[in-house]
Amino acid sequence: MPRTDPTSPRDERVPVTVLTGFLGSGKTTLLNRILTEQHGLKIAVIENEFGEVGIDDALVLDAEEEIFEMNNGCICCTVRGDLIRILGALMRRREKFDHILIETTGLADPAPVAQTFFMDDEIAAQLRLDAIVTLVDAAHVLQHLDEVKPEGVENEAVEQIAFADRIVLNKTDLADERTIAEVEQRVRAINAPVQILRARHAAIDLHQVLDVGAFDLERVLGDDPSFLTETEHQHDTTVTSVGIEIDGELDESRLNAWLGNLLRTKGVDLFRSKGILALAGAPKQYVFQGVHMLLDGSFGRDWRDGEVRRNRLVFIGRNLDREALERGFADCLATAGAVA
Amino acid sequence: MSTAVQAPPAWDVAVDDAPVAISARGDLVAVAGAEGTVKVLDAALGAEIGALELPGGALRVELAPDARHLVATGPMGYALWRRTDGRTTVRESGAWSAAAAWAGPARMAVAVGRRALVLDADGGELWRTEPAASTVTDLAWLRQGRRLAVAAYGAVLGHERHTGQPVVTYPYVGSHLALAVAPTGKWICSGNQDASIHIWRTRDGSELTMSGYPEKVSRLAFDDTGFWLAADGAPDVTVWDFSGQGPAGTAPRSLRCHETVTALAWRPGAAGQLASGGADGTVALWHATAGRPQQLLRPARELEGNGSPVAALAWAGPHLLSVAWRDGRVRTYGVPSRTEL
Repeated sequence: MPRTDPTSPRDERVPVTVLTGFLGSGKTTLLNRILTEQHGLKIAVIENEFGEVGIDDALVLDAEEEIFEMNNGCICCTVRGDLIRILGALMRRREKFDHILIETTGLADPAPVAQTFFMDDEIAAQLRLDAIVTLVDAAHVLQHLDEVKPEGVENEAVEQIAFADRIVLNKTDLADERTIAEVEQRVRAINAPVQILRARHAAIDLHQVLDVGAFDLERVLGDDPSFLTETEHQHDTTVTSVGIEIDGELDESRLNAWLGNLLRTKGVDLFRSKGILALAGAPKQYVFQGVHMLLDGSFGRDWRDGEVRRNRLVFIGRNLDREALERGFADCLATAGAVA
Repeated sequence: MSTAVQAPPAWDVAVDDAPVAISARGDLVAVAGAEGTVKVLDAALGAEIGALELPGGALRVELAPDARHLVATGPMGYALWRRTDGRTTVRESGAWSAAAAWAGPARMAVAVGRRALVLDADGGELWRTEPAASTVTDLAWLRQGRRLAVAAYGAVLGHERHTGQPVVTYPYVGSHLALAVAPTGKWICSGNQDASIHIWRTRDGSELTMSGYPEKVSRLAFDDTGFWLAADGAPDVTVWDFSGQGPAGTAPRSLRCHETVTALAWRPGAAGQLASGGADGTVALWHATAGRPQQLLRPARELEGNGSPVAALAWAGPHLLSVAWRDGRVRTYGVPSRTEL
């Protein structure tokens, strides 16, 4: 996994936004909006759905989803072979792009897309995953979320919400306020820290979805300090968020053992994880974020004088055992052994 | 280390594209660019003999062994060129054509999406394979052009004319990026996304994996003898000894010059001489089989670039080395001595 150094001056890599959402959620409308807006950016688009996008200024490439296992004993380490191929060829051109958009189908698993940016060194050297943006049709998403799938089959709508850094709650003009509120609540129950942007006709401020640095360690949890908002478990949803906030310093070796074991045994069910940690003896914050078993971490800013050494982390995943996670993490505190 | 004075290139031209591939056969050198510009040049002088455009860009270019035909492949299709009258045929299939390989002067295989098509020199289809599990990544011929090896996700497939289904399957879970077949026909090797080289002995299908590379292995090349395999996947070029029982249980020689290897080309002949190119623009010439296994070798000679990454290398016979850099520069260097570099 490439280690990013937040203290380095500037990340020159080209940002890549993953745009996902069900058919009819407004992806094409948003895509066209991004491409036609006068932002002066040179954008390349990779589409998995033969879209109606046809903009002169943008390079639009079609791709058929090809998911490859990595053969390293990690069953959730899959990458997108089609993206590796296409992005590789794109990077060899003389024309340089300011931004790349990848539009996936509503049935696509976002994990292999995200993991491609961590697993392929050639891509990681030139491109950075900026954010996963999921479009949601306010009027119809509840029925997708409630759809009962056969055993072992993912509910793609739940998965795409779970992986998202930004949710564009679109078509709010076609749903009443009660429905919209319920959708927001359901989204939060799955993905507590996600930013929800309400929109009509996919009209949103593009600065809220482009170049937002959702995978940037410097900005991990930075843009939403309220991620720990406790959500009611009124719906019997198996995909949830577990936020943990504990004051104190962590024993690094115990933390590594716990986190390593967690990723090894629960990595398949852990969709996203992120956190800011206080390691015993470290003057800087330790920040990390991950997709399934892949974790990217480094030291961030200095702890300020008098600042409370507070650990904040969040896991989004399937069948998460909140109590076990809280207990396991609390046992990593440097003081935990002494108390016991 | 040689103390030879840096010789000026035999010729030096610039193409208006970012080169991605180069091919040299007979008296010709062909250069293909990322945006689809293909130039055919005289190997001795650099004069333009022909040109074509492949819409959607190019990935690979292959001259026929007799230098009378050329095929260029790209993300949107492939194109053929004929020397006698300069005729160009463009096939915009819309499918990804990652590779092409000539079986002889009159027959080639071209990857088209998940299939390989076998064509005559003018593009007439002779036969085609059934679709592989993914987009085809590389092709190579075995058995004097009777069997076609096709690399795709999950396996290398062996195809013959009489059937669309493979006549032999070499399975290995993972994404095979590059294929190399020993000229002896004894070995099939694939470079993999999972940072390994997978090896099959053709006689009995027995397998071997060389893992532990720091990066994916996307360039593999056997020398003319079939005894030596060079690979990228690390800052050092690794050279494996395939003579005798093969490389099982052995260690490779490591060739240290580049931070990132971007091109490999064995000099024609049996002297074990290799050219390699790097992302820093340098080209290194090696006595790649000198010394002992596990030895760290240094280049016999380095050709200085100007910082632009080396895009591709090809030997136009034993005495001319053609180099294309990403900035569009194409140079050919004379290497007069048979034994020296």
